[in-house]
Amino acid sequence: MKRWRRLAALSLASVVLVACSGQRPVAVSEKSSDPTTPVVGGKLVYGLSADAAGFNPVTDQFAAQSYSMATTIIEPLVSVDVNGDWKPYLAESLTPNKKSDEWTITVRSGVSFSDGTPLTGEVVKANLEAQKASPLNNAVLAPVSSFELVDPKTVKVKLKQPWVAFPYYLAAQIGMIVPPSSLADPRGASQKPIGTGPFTFQEYVPDSRFVVAKNANYWRKGLPYLTQIEFRILPDSQTRAQTLEAGQLDAMGTSRDEDITKFGALKDAFTVQRSQGMAVAEYMFMLNTAVKPFDDIRVRKALAHAMDRKAVISTLRGGLTKEADGPWSQDSKWYSPGGGYPEYDLAKATALVKEVEADKGPIKFEIISTPDPNTMQGIELAQDMWRKAGIEVTIKQADQADLINRAVTGNFAATVWTQFSSPDPDGEYIWMHKAYAGPVGAISLNFTRLKDDKLSQAFDVGRTSPDEATRKQAYATVQQRLRELVPYVFVDHLDTGAIIAKTTVRGIGEHVLPDGEKGLPMTGSPIPYHPFSGVWITQQ
Amino acid sequence: MILLHRLVRLLVVLLVVTFLSYALLGLLPGDPTTQILGLSATEEARAQLRQELGLDQPLLVQYADWLGGLVTGDFGTSYINQVPVAQELAERLPVTLELLVAAQIVALGLAVPVGVAAARRAGGTLDQVLTAMSFALLSTPVFVLGVLLILVFAVTWQVLPATGWTPISVDLGWNITSVLLPAITLGAGQLAVYARLLRTDLIATLQEDYITLARARGLSPRRILWRHALRPSTISLITAVGLNLGALIGGTVIIETLFGLPGIGRLIVDSIFSRDYLTVQGGVVLISVGYVLVNFVVDLVYAAVDPRIRHA
Repeated sequence: MKRWRRLAALSLASVVLVACSGQRPVAVSEKSSDPTTPVVGGKLVYGLSADAAGFNPVTDQFAAQSYSMATTIIEPLVSVDVNGDWKPYLAESLTPNKKSDEWTITVRSGVSFSDGTPLTGEVVKANLEAQKASPLNNAVLAPVSSFELVDPKTVKVKLKQPWVAFPYYLAAQIGMIVPPSSLADPRGASQKPIGTGPFTFQEYVPDSRFVVAKNANYWRKGLPYLTQIEFRILPDSQTRAQTLEAGQLDAMGTSRDEDITKFGALKDAFTVQRSQGMAVAEYMFMLNTAVKPFDDIRVRKALAHAMDRKAVISTLRGGLTKEADGPWSQDSKWYSPGGGYPEYDLAKATALVKEVEADKGPIKFEIISTPDPNTMQGIELAQDMWRKAGIEVTIKQADQADLINRAVTGNFAATVWTQFSSPDPDGEYIWMHKAYAGPVGAISLNFTRLKDDKLSQAFDVGRTSPDEATRKQAYATVQQRLRELVPYVFVDHLDTGAIIAKTTVRGIGEHVLPDGEKGLPMTGSPIPYHPFSGVWITQQ
Repeated sequence: MILLHRLVRLLVVLLVVTFLSYALLGLLPGDPTTQILGLSATEEARAQLRQELGLDQPLLVQYADWLGGLVTGDFGTSYINQVPVAQELAERLPVTLELLVAAQIVALGLAVPVGVAAARRAGGTLDQVLTAMSFALLSTPVFVLGVLLILVFAVTWQVLPATGWTPISVDLGWNITSVLLPAITLGAGQLAVYARLLRTDLIATLQEDYITLARARGLSPRRILWRHALRPSTISLITAVGLNLGALIGGTVIIETLFGLPGIGRLIVDSIFSRDYLTVQGGVVLISVGYVLVNFVVDLVYAAVDPRIRHA
């Protein structure tokens, strides 16, 4: 009996010892003595907050984390440079006609998918047609009338109206090109993506990990540097940060200000890259202008005047973000300073509330929030501020699916909202233009249901004019109208989206485009994404 | 006969549980079309998708369709990722199953010696210390315990991985390390319950006449405790193990999210949020069957532990 016990104890101890002492196999890098010279080889383990809902750009809705994973394999026709201008990527060139109602896409030569299929004009045309037919994107591609194959390398896109910002849409899901085999097997492509990118698919375990390996035949010579990337899906932000701290992640995405503060202080061990410019989304309260009490502009203004944005930023963001007065952040070239947004002024808010109450009685409304603690904290703070101005606010909790459904159908008075991170202002066209505002009960992509002629005309000018100065003026008008009409109570530019990496990880947000120009460091929200072809790991 | 009786009970449980979950899901506002098509889809596209998925049908018709498929072994296909639900469940089941088994091993493996030690000198210092520790474990939320364990074992000592999952088929050693912290976190609360139950039953058993007789015959206290008192004192413990399975499955949702494990709990919660009804239903069926089966096994174990039940 004693011998049996000893044997059992020994076996258990040896199993635990083996388990605790083993090392995960890692690729060996080629040594480099220069800390700025990229090292070829190595495996990057990268923590993400959520899984993708599939990797097929034609059939699956892409969120920021989907782009992180999918763009290692599938590349877009267009990219965006560090100045926010679009640049050809898989396309060799994109040329508009004089009116910008026709775009000619010339496909880059010498590019093949990892399954050996060459990238041709016919493949690009088939992809764009599939995107136009996909219910995911047919509203966005509504201005497109047809795609025509001019020659084996050239596709002509005919539009129903001038559209100068069209290439920007090809920098996202719509412009990501998959081979014919993926178009023929959308379910397969959803789980095992194929593309022209720097990496090829290796393994996918839903809700756990997505692994890609270096594409030895990548068309951009010398790239990528890494041999393998393992994306780990770690939804809990606290344990994701602990995993990075424990050394089991090389980098991770976050949207928590405490991570930025904590890891930012450890400069010898970690780097923090925050999203900036147009990539930054805005945190706001979205108001339904088609229902009471927000059909009255005085109530909307009272809400904005009662909102102490500085207090929100210091309470919820550790003072890290900047006050917002519109959909585009101050460090973006599209930002128009102009002023005119209702500043924090409780006396003005109270006066407006009293004025409305004299006409219509007490102001009450219900605000919708998702039940997570961070969002609730923000809502409760706002509720308290509005109560001080004499407005009675009740909070109704709804899960994300319900909240979105309510926003789309207009079944809400107010809700907390985060949006507006498109690289070009035209990306917000369908969310604010009057043509997309439907009555309550019907689907409306303009969720505030604000139908403003001046704002819509400005969006039309921005969409159709090739002159940048004219466009800037148009989007200044958009911002001015938003400040005057207050369909959104803007709070802050949510630039707490960041990538935190060990200092041994280099090249995040420093990628170079095929023409040698610097690319846009990061994009997307709430956690940004970035290309991985230029990322490398130094010797430990 | 017992098997037939159990089978009928299982079918009734399945019908009730799946219908209730279908009805509750139906009451939830929203449907999967927004999740699948995104915000910018048109009303026509949404309506067409609803028709394709059969979501335009009355709830009872949808349920009957799903039940018809289930009878033929077809769990349906996930609305969100177009993967057969059976395949999704089969991929996730080993993770949750291993987590549950490991948590029970941790809980039982520690509860028995702790319960015995506490009962041996009831009211003594050791009993009081163990009682205090049990209550401390019981009152610590799993997410707090999980974060603390990660901080100590992964961040400070760096002897165990903080998060992630390695399947047994890939590497047994890494599999054990990846399940240790989640299993301890999940099993800790159960450990306290089991230890308290065993202690109470053992104290009662130790008052029985046959124990007094054994003492009178000069048997050692250790032999009396382990050979004569422990077995009849485990009936409540075994019952609790079966009944607690439900609570453990509930706990896996938090544990799987906390430790980044791709298990059934996370799948069901994600599917509820994305209104992926068929995946939720598949998970509900799996858990219901598992729960009934475990409690059937518990009944069999009763008979093995206590011959009076076998002969009744």
